[in-house]
Amino acid sequence: MEKSKRINLEDIKDFIYQGDRLWLGGWTVVRKPMAMVWQLIKAEVTNLHIVNNPGGPDTDLLIGSGSVSKTETNYIGHEVFGHPYNFKEKMENRETVDAFHHDDWTVGSGMMRIVAGAMGIPFIPTKFLRGSDLLRPENDGFRNLRGVDPKVPKKKYQVMKDPFWEGDEVLLVPAIRPDICLIHAQEAGEDGTVRLSGGAFLDYYAAVASKITIISAEKIVPATELFETREENVIPGEVVDAIVEVPFGAHPTAVHGCYDNDPWWFQQYITASKKKENMAQWLDEWVYGVSSFAEYLEKIGKKRLEKLVADPSLGYAPNILRRMDRIVEVN
Amino acid sequence: MTTAYSNLEMMVVAASKLLLDDEKVLVGTGVPLVAATLAKKTHAKKMKIMMEAVAYDSNPESLPFCVADPRAVYNTKWSPTSVEVMGHFLQSGRIDKGFLGGAQVDKYGNLNSTCIGDYNKPVKRFEGSGGASDIALMSNRNIIIMHHEKRRFVDQVDFISSPGWRCRALDGKSLAMRSEMGLHGGPYAVVSTLGVMKFDDITKEMYVDTYFKDLGVSLEMIQQETTFDIDVSRAKALSPPTEIELNILRKKVDPEGIYMKY
Repeated sequence: MEKSKRINLEDIKDFIYQGDRLWLGGWTVVRKPMAMVWQLIKAEVTNLHIVNNPGGPDTDLLIGSGSVSKTETNYIGHEVFGHPYNFKEKMENRETVDAFHHDDWTVGSGMMRIVAGAMGIPFIPTKFLRGSDLLRPENDGFRNLRGVDPKVPKKKYQVMKDPFWEGDEVLLVPAIRPDICLIHAQEAGEDGTVRLSGGAFLDYYAAVASKITIISAEKIVPATELFETREENVIPGEVVDAIVEVPFGAHPTAVHGCYDNDPWWFQQYITASKKKENMAQWLDEWVYGVSSFAEYLEKIGKKRLEKLVADPSLGYAPNILRRMDRIVEVN
Repeated sequence: MTTAYSNLEMMVVAASKLLLDDEKVLVGTGVPLVAATLAKKTHAKKMKIMMEAVAYDSNPESLPFCVADPRAVYNTKWSPTSVEVMGHFLQSGRIDKGFLGGAQVDKYGNLNSTCIGDYNKPVKRFEGSGGASDIALMSNRNIIIMHHEKRRFVDQVDFISSPGWRCRALDGKSLAMRSEMGLHGGPYAVVSTLGVMKFDDITKEMYVDTYFKDLGVSLEMIQQETTFDIDVSRAKALSPPTEIELNILRKKVDPEGIYMKY
């Protein structure tokens, strides 16, 4: 029998180094690897370089806890729940904030870049980005790092005439090469096979492109069970280095077929993140002052978690209200 | 006697009417999703709602609050990733219409959803433009939907997130017309809380096509709420929404009032 790739959630910190380029799977407020992010904050990891497509509370939290020095992405936010105040604070006070660099991209160009990373090619041509102010050299958020930091591409883009067909101008964009990739899945096999539902986003490409890939899953099962209906498997175990079982491991984000977004969490977090001292208090209360992610979930409370559980025929929890000014306490 | 309705509702109904049966529409988060869902539940039942993260022909029962929401996946015919939606459909020119919101729009239909003020020293920084730049660039036509206020309808946007008719050239410095750059597509209409704006065939500048006269909107009001001089000479009054449209919008599309804020 194949050896299990199981680790403990606390072991995450042993896989990650200062300055690592980190890809966080999922999409904004959906299927984000929140338990692993929680554990990184708990371990007081610093100087991370986030390279994913749209980020959500995962990214805003890592910024707010001082774990991040660079972000290159197209979006950091909580969708309809409210604004990402930790990210905003860094961007609106850039002059006074030391060593925080943000480079803006687009979903399309970011997708091309991670596909190039997965294919092992150094760059890829794209039609995206044309016409936008992202082309202005003074808007290159990493301009001071290019040619200096080996983990940053030497250029943001290069215009090139298509040498093969019509001769139109296209942009060459650099591959994204994450050092480490964290993905939360509905299910994983002991060998690392990953099964996702409700959209794989760019998780497969990121897993293949990254040097190290770690999966947290709602449930870990014997791999042979997953091989019977192989077409539902999204990532082969070969590219997965470690797995960890964490029920509600994407809380407060939604996991298709398992649970929905936790609007109460977003309301409390977003309110706290508006002020530095309240954000510090929030981290003390919900991360530093709690011994484990399991205890964090206990503190959220069974009642609330039960309310989030998805209706299996729909994939979401139909009774969850999402209008923040009308949210009432769980009772 | 007709039911009272708001400018916001009129905006959503007017926008929904610009989406047609048999079209593939790549829809952004927020109000565009409300209007697209309304179109799908009224006059454009065969229209395919596409979402950049996950959806091909989405037909949600409950309003998705983002383009990756399990609500967007429910009922879809295929669950692609952005490699397929953005790469294989959008970048290859297979999307009929893009449908986007934003913070600022200018007379050439450039859209800003990145920041207010200087990009490197913003007064207000937003989340980022996600896939809006790609959608505005590569859709065969683009529709913009946003509140009509002077601070939003500006002469030149603070940052071109999503290119309009006159946008950033490939030298990264000058501005150029879309046609000079060999770009296809372009903004087709801006639907606001006061009316529907379109773009002149020759100058590519925004003009008022229709306005919400029934709600007491005047052409003077539109000019007052627009920073640049806007041509109102072609403006016609737009007929109010029907009871059926309002009913479906209120009871089936956004009953919680997440975006419609009842």
